[in-house]
Amino acid sequence: MFRYFLTGIYRNVLKDKVTSLINLVNLTIGFTTFILLGMVVSYEFSFDKFNTNFDRIYRVQTKQEDSYPINYCTFSPAAFRYHLMADQPEVEQVLLMREVSAGQGGGQFFQLPDGSQLFEKDGYFSENAIFDIFSYHILEGNPQHALDEPNQIMLSEKLRQKLFPEGNAVGKKVLIGKRFLLTVVGVYADLPYHASLRPSYLVSLSTYELFAGIQKYRDNWTYIDNDNFVLLRKGADPARVNERIHNAFKEVKNFEKSSPYLHPLSKMHISPNSQPDMIVGLSILSLAGLLVLVLSCVNYVNLSLAGSTRRAAEIGIKKVVGFSGRVIAVQFIAETLVLTFLAMILGMGFAQLASPMMANILRSNAVFRIFDYGALLVVLLGTAILAGIASGLYPALVLASYNPIKVLKGKLFAGKGNAFSLRKVLTTAQFSISLFMLIVSLILYAHVNFILNKDLGFESRNLLFTEIHPRQPVDFESVRQRLLVHPEIVDATFSNTIPFQGNIGGFVSWDGAAQDQKEMISRNYVNYEFVPTFGLKMLYGRNFSKDYPSDDKSCLINETALKVFGWKDPIGKQIFMNGRPFPVIGVVKDFHPFSVHNPIPSYIMFLKDKNELTGEAQLTVRFSEGNKGKARDIITAELSTALPDEPFEVKEFSVIFYLDLAITFWQSMKKLFFFFAVVTLLISSMGLFGLILFTTKRRTKEIGVRKVLGSSVGSIYTELSSEVVWLIGFAILVACPAAILIYRTMPGAYKEPLNLTEFLLAIAVTILMAFLTITYHVLKVAVQNPVKALRYE
Amino acid sequence: MIHLANIDKYYDSRFQRTFVLKDINLKVNEGEFVSIMGPSGSGKSTLLNIIGLLDQPSAGDYQLDGQSMLNLREKEVVGFLRNFMGFIFQAYHLIEEMTVYENIETPLIYKGVKSKDRQAMIADLLDRFNMVAKKELFPTQLSGGQQQLVGIARAIVGKPRLLLADEPTGNLHSGQGEMIMETLRALNREGMTIVQVTHNEKFAGYGSRIIRLEDGYIRSDQPALTTERIA
Repeated sequence: MFRYFLTGIYRNVLKDKVTSLINLVNLTIGFTTFILLGMVVSYEFSFDKFNTNFDRIYRVQTKQEDSYPINYCTFSPAAFRYHLMADQPEVEQVLLMREVSAGQGGGQFFQLPDGSQLFEKDGYFSENAIFDIFSYHILEGNPQHALDEPNQIMLSEKLRQKLFPEGNAVGKKVLIGKRFLLTVVGVYADLPYHASLRPSYLVSLSTYELFAGIQKYRDNWTYIDNDNFVLLRKGADPARVNERIHNAFKEVKNFEKSSPYLHPLSKMHISPNSQPDMIVGLSILSLAGLLVLVLSCVNYVNLSLAGSTRRAAEIGIKKVVGFSGRVIAVQFIAETLVLTFLAMILGMGFAQLASPMMANILRSNAVFRIFDYGALLVVLLGTAILAGIASGLYPALVLASYNPIKVLKGKLFAGKGNAFSLRKVLTTAQFSISLFMLIVSLILYAHVNFILNKDLGFESRNLLFTEIHPRQPVDFESVRQRLLVHPEIVDATFSNTIPFQGNIGGFVSWDGAAQDQKEMISRNYVNYEFVPTFGLKMLYGRNFSKDYPSDDKSCLINETALKVFGWKDPIGKQIFMNGRPFPVIGVVKDFHPFSVHNPIPSYIMFLKDKNELTGEAQLTVRFSEGNKGKARDIITAELSTALPDEPFEVKEFSVIFYLDLAITFWQSMKKLFFFFAVVTLLISSMGLFGLILFTTKRRTKEIGVRKVLGSSVGSIYTELSSEVVWLIGFAILVACPAAILIYRTMPGAYKEPLNLTEFLLAIAVTILMAFLTITYHVLKVAVQNPVKALRYE
Repeated sequence: MIHLANIDKYYDSRFQRTFVLKDINLKVNEGEFVSIMGPSGSGKSTLLNIIGLLDQPSAGDYQLDGQSMLNLREKEVVGFLRNFMGFIFQAYHLIEEMTVYENIETPLIYKGVKSKDRQAMIADLLDRFNMVAKKELFPTQLSGGQQQLVGIARAIVGKPRLLLADEPTGNLHSGQGEMIMETLRALNREGMTIVQVTHNEKFAGYGSRIIRLEDGYIRSDQPALTTERIA
């Protein structure tokens, strides 16, 4: 019997190669999309699971109820480690870590063997307990007391290769930030890509106080910028710990409304801030994957039913010779299952091939390997069986229920065409979805272009910047003059922050403000050349000038601030910060100090004390068009001479602009929507093909009659395709309002106004695709000799 | 009117050539009523289809009104179908989604007749066939004989010069069959040329001439004894 089944399936597949192929392609697309998204979701949920103590590790985080919305900060103060967590009976191990930083960005400069500086991110000050809590694989050195003493460092294998390419790093010295000499005590294997915490190097925590020049770090309750991890004992209940530590901040001034809580390692990647954003996003993604698979199964049902006339005679005869309906149904379901499994296996292959594209869309460094996700494979197997049975069942029952006499007389589709068949509704739904996706991806495309080309209010091209933090004050004017000697350099300035990088804010009051009225306003400390270097435009008054010695007690404000303060004549009016008055000497035209996604905030600029580089500063240089490389060399050379003991790295301004979260987010969204638009368009085209196959089959006789009555091929084509016109018309009616709704709810203060061309283009593509799909088949039927259609047998 | 000379129709398979029609010579004059008879597979329908331009002969010459019908372009065939001939089928082949009225109207639409004129022409026919009351019904609501009447009405509404009927009574019981044949005879007397294929000796006798086919050859071609003479 089984062999009989198999040969039957094999012959049926070969008998109608086109339909079999379309069915296979259709199901393969469904499975590929499903598996691809399944891999992404599995990947996101696979984080940190490689740790042996996975379910016992928690990060102590800080819930801040006095901010709006409530802030779930991933950090906590150092005192937790020493005065809170270490005393809890459930806690087996405590670990205090903090990121190594050289100013605003995390990371530090390492001296390479050739004397050049390497800026390396993702370094942590850490205790030795990290090796007990997390699963590290030590390649060199002894992890027992590796990080107990000050000035010790453990390197990841990747960093070791850069610093000591010849190997044997243990016992060697590394120079960090041109200042601190550390001893390498070990090397650990690079952490897998699905680890939340992937330190490039670990410096003993006791080194931190020396680095930062501070004391009593361990007793500090108010600097909430550390990572506190705990390892609970086996079987310990984290809820009991939470209960006990909840009131830890009660005695700390200004922090009464904060409370610590344990956040499990399992949520560290998915929901670090205890927010559901990413879970919601992943749910939508899984739903979309499932939907595509369901749609392709629907297509399969349609195509099978359309093709079933061909099978009808076979089934009629089988029934007459005594096969039961059940055997026929089982045979058809078995056929479907074989096809589904073939599609699943092909889908696995294609998904694996397409996974780097997905990683690129999601801007992730992940390497997806389908066999890493056991759970996904099990789900996949289940889905394939389910999909096979689900899409085989209905056609099987229809086929099995055929009345053999009617079948053999060829009267199968003699009934009237139902105007509102489920098949038409589903195909319309498919087209609505794909049209919607197309419009949205075009809107997103326009939006990304819009924010990329938006007038930022300053000249963002031809800027280089570097972050420096000199130990001794350096006169800036002399540095500037050295730079300006070169014709490639247009101007240079320094400031505490630059647009898109860093933010300082504080409460400000102003002339004419009501009693107790104050606003949180962003501010920056700049020097005389900030306005010209960034190309800011003055609306009123003047820039800071060396001719006015009192300018160090005055300020510049932006347009938005002027509106907030409600002044008619701003020059000479005063703002108040920390009780001190600062007269306004000028107003600059609004520019984007932060993300292009947000509205422009009020902004105040103060003059830097003296004209000296000191503390942390951003040094920005404008160069003349086309001289980026030269300018970079000049800056590097001149700064190395002027500040010989300071490590620095010259960066392009456009890089931080493109790294703006809003831009990366929209670009990912655009690509994701485009991907889905293509997939759904393919799927719905196949659905349409199934529909038209069915329609033409049902109307073959009618077409023959019409031809005999003198209808031309053209009018038959029109007649048959009118159905498609209706279908697309409905799809347009559904998809356009939905896309407009999405546009309306799209976040962001600045949006490109809706453009009719996006809608027209999407509609045109959909119509084109639809007609390409049906034309071949409809024409084939339309030119067919009517004698064939009308033959009476 | 119809002039077939040395018509062959064959199908080539890999090793042999199968003839459906072999060396058919046939002349039909305007106003004749010809019945083609023969056993199953003798090539009757194929011959009718070739005359009706629905099929092409493999060899030979076919002239209609002195004009060659070989290698016509699609457009020319459609022109002949619209203006020269009408077809009647054994299975009626009415369009089931359309009412009686709409079915009869279809060829006129293809012909490009104006709506007003169409109404008048259809009304005349419905009147003649006593079907005025049934014009809004769908084909499935009619008896077989009535459906075939609609089929005839549809075939002749465009006033074709040649009416081709492929076993028009094959699905009908004899009473209805006679009614249909009477209708055809009446049309013939009004001057319409008719070629019919039939199995039924009696109905073949309604024609003026009977052609018998056997294995693709014309076995005999003789004047019919009219039913009036038999009766």
